Amino acid sequence: MVRPATFFGWVELLLNQYGSLFLKGTGITLMIAVTGTLLGFLLGLLVAIVRTVPVSRRDPVYKKIPLKIAHFLLGAYIEVFRGTPMMVQAMIIYYGTMQYLNLRMPVMVAAVVIVSVNTGAYMAEIIRGGIISIDKGQKEAAYAMGMTHWQSMTGIVLPQAVRNIMPSIGNEFVVNIKDSSVLNVISVGELFFMSKSAAGTYLRYFEVFFITACIYLVLTVSITRILRLVERRMDGKNNYTIYGSQSDSKSSITISDAKEA
Amino acid sequence: MQEHILEVSGLKKSFGDHEVLRDISFSVEKGEIICIIGSSGSGKSTLLRCLNRLEEPTAGTVLFHGKNTESERSRVSFLSKVGMVFQSFNLFANMSVLENCVIGQMRVLHRTRKEAEEKAVFYLEKVGMAPYRNARPAQLSGGQKQRVAIARALCMDPEVLLFDEPTSALDPEMVGEVLSVMQQLAQAKLTMLIVTHEMSFARDVASRVIFMDQGVIAEDAPPEKLFTAPEHPRTREFLGRIINRQF
Ligand SMILES: Nc1ncnc2c1ncn2[C@@H]1O[C@H](COP(=O)(O)OP(=O)(O)O)[C@@H](O)[C@H]1O
Ligand SMILES: [Mg+2]
Repeated sequence: MVRPATFFGWVELLLNQYGSLFLKGTGITLMIAVTGTLLGFLLGLLVAIVRTVPVSRRDPVYKKIPLKIAHFLLGAYIEVFRGTPMMVQAMIIYYGTMQYLNLRMPVMVAAVVIVSVNTGAYMAEIIRGGIISIDKGQKEAAYAMGMTHWQSMTGIVLPQAVRNIMPSIGNEFVVNIKDSSVLNVISVGELFFMSKSAAGTYLRYFEVFFITACIYLVLTVSITRILRLVERRMDGKNNYTIYGSQSDSKSSITISDAKEA
Repeated sequence: MQEHILEVSGLKKSFGDHEVLRDISFSVEKGEIICIIGSSGSGKSTLLRCLNRLEEPTAGTVLFHGKNTESERSRVSFLSKVGMVFQSFNLFANMSVLENCVIGQMRVLHRTRKEAEEKAVFYLEKVGMAPYRNARPAQLSGGQKQRVAIARALCMDPEVLLFDEPTSALDPEMVGEVLSVMQQLAQAKLTMLIVTHEMSFARDVASRVIFMDQGVIAEDAPPEKLFTAPEHPRTREFLGRIINRQF
């Protein structure tokens, strides 16, 4: 075999020989990032909803104590998963479940679990920030009509909060595309792992990882663009149509008697 | 015999060691229109918010048709029957005008979308906002927003409507359109508690005026009496200040 003499020669050869490996690694990276971000987002939503349930002094004990415990545990979860590297979390979760629970997780399952749980911790704080940025008045209006915390959250607060934190959600997505690379420590066949094996044969680390970097960049840039479009869709139309004519404003008001019981 | 809709007794509310409401007792009969006046910081908003449990009273009871409103079980049916209109409108910013009026009916009263929309359009027409049903709150003027907020509250078929300074956040030329809607509600004999600084409105529509001063009800009298021959010196002082400001 002739060894290429130039940088581009190597790139071409590596692409020809390991194209499918790169492709597979890219697919797996994307898969992990997409499902991890999505599940992490849902987890974060749940955590944030529970963490924003108001506890008042007058609540009965059977409601107050479980809530306090839940708030404490969720707070600890967030601290632990934001305060340790995902690479370390991967080792502990993967080998911990293997050694102590006798659970041999398929690496792909482990990968998705680790990224989701890790992302959930960040998302919970991002979403909580989004929730408290929505002015209290709307929530009060919802409570005043008799809606529950859950109803006012899902119907009114979260849709606005999620719209406002879309840039941060996009950021988490991008971080996950890049940081899923640390999962190579438990031999997940994502892009970084595949690149390492591709580089091994000819020991052309620079050329291989140049290609790898390009792929990561293409992924992150396109994700950012796509999310920008989603944001614009969420904003909806910025005009409205007048419905019918405005001639009936003079009619008098009658109140239907609400006492049917 | 008159029917108490709301009966407040011994109501107290403190924030920390700041005692905002100090022993408030009064009751509201069906069809009454009570205007609550008083200087800023006297506890008017806190009183309304204690009535529909946006704030937990520190002490005292609020009875609705003779029943305690504290228990979790009675909360939803009670709250849907006591509507509230806020100074800052508090429309749901992510929804159209129509959707604002529909969501509570569907989620809380479990009406079908069709029923809810019919009712919403009915009340939006009453407040002159039906043509704007597809608009979003951000696209409306203050007066329009408040009229939508009133329609939204009416859609729940409330027995009592609480207003917390409904016109205070409005430009002067929009105050009239909101007051005229409220005037129509008064003619329809809806029971209302209205915190307001619009003294001539209070004089015209109120069946009773409550003057609050430093967390207590200083005076509670029909408007003819309270505005022309106030008993309490603080009432006189307050009215003097307000009237001087208005002319
Ligand atoms: N959430 C709160 N925390 C602490 N103090 C409050 C709170 N809400 C109201 N207050 C205080 O209670 C007093 C009465 O307020 P408020 O009921 O809004 O008066 P008004 O509506 O008559 O102007 C004010 O001194 C205000 O600072
Ligand atoms: Mg006030």
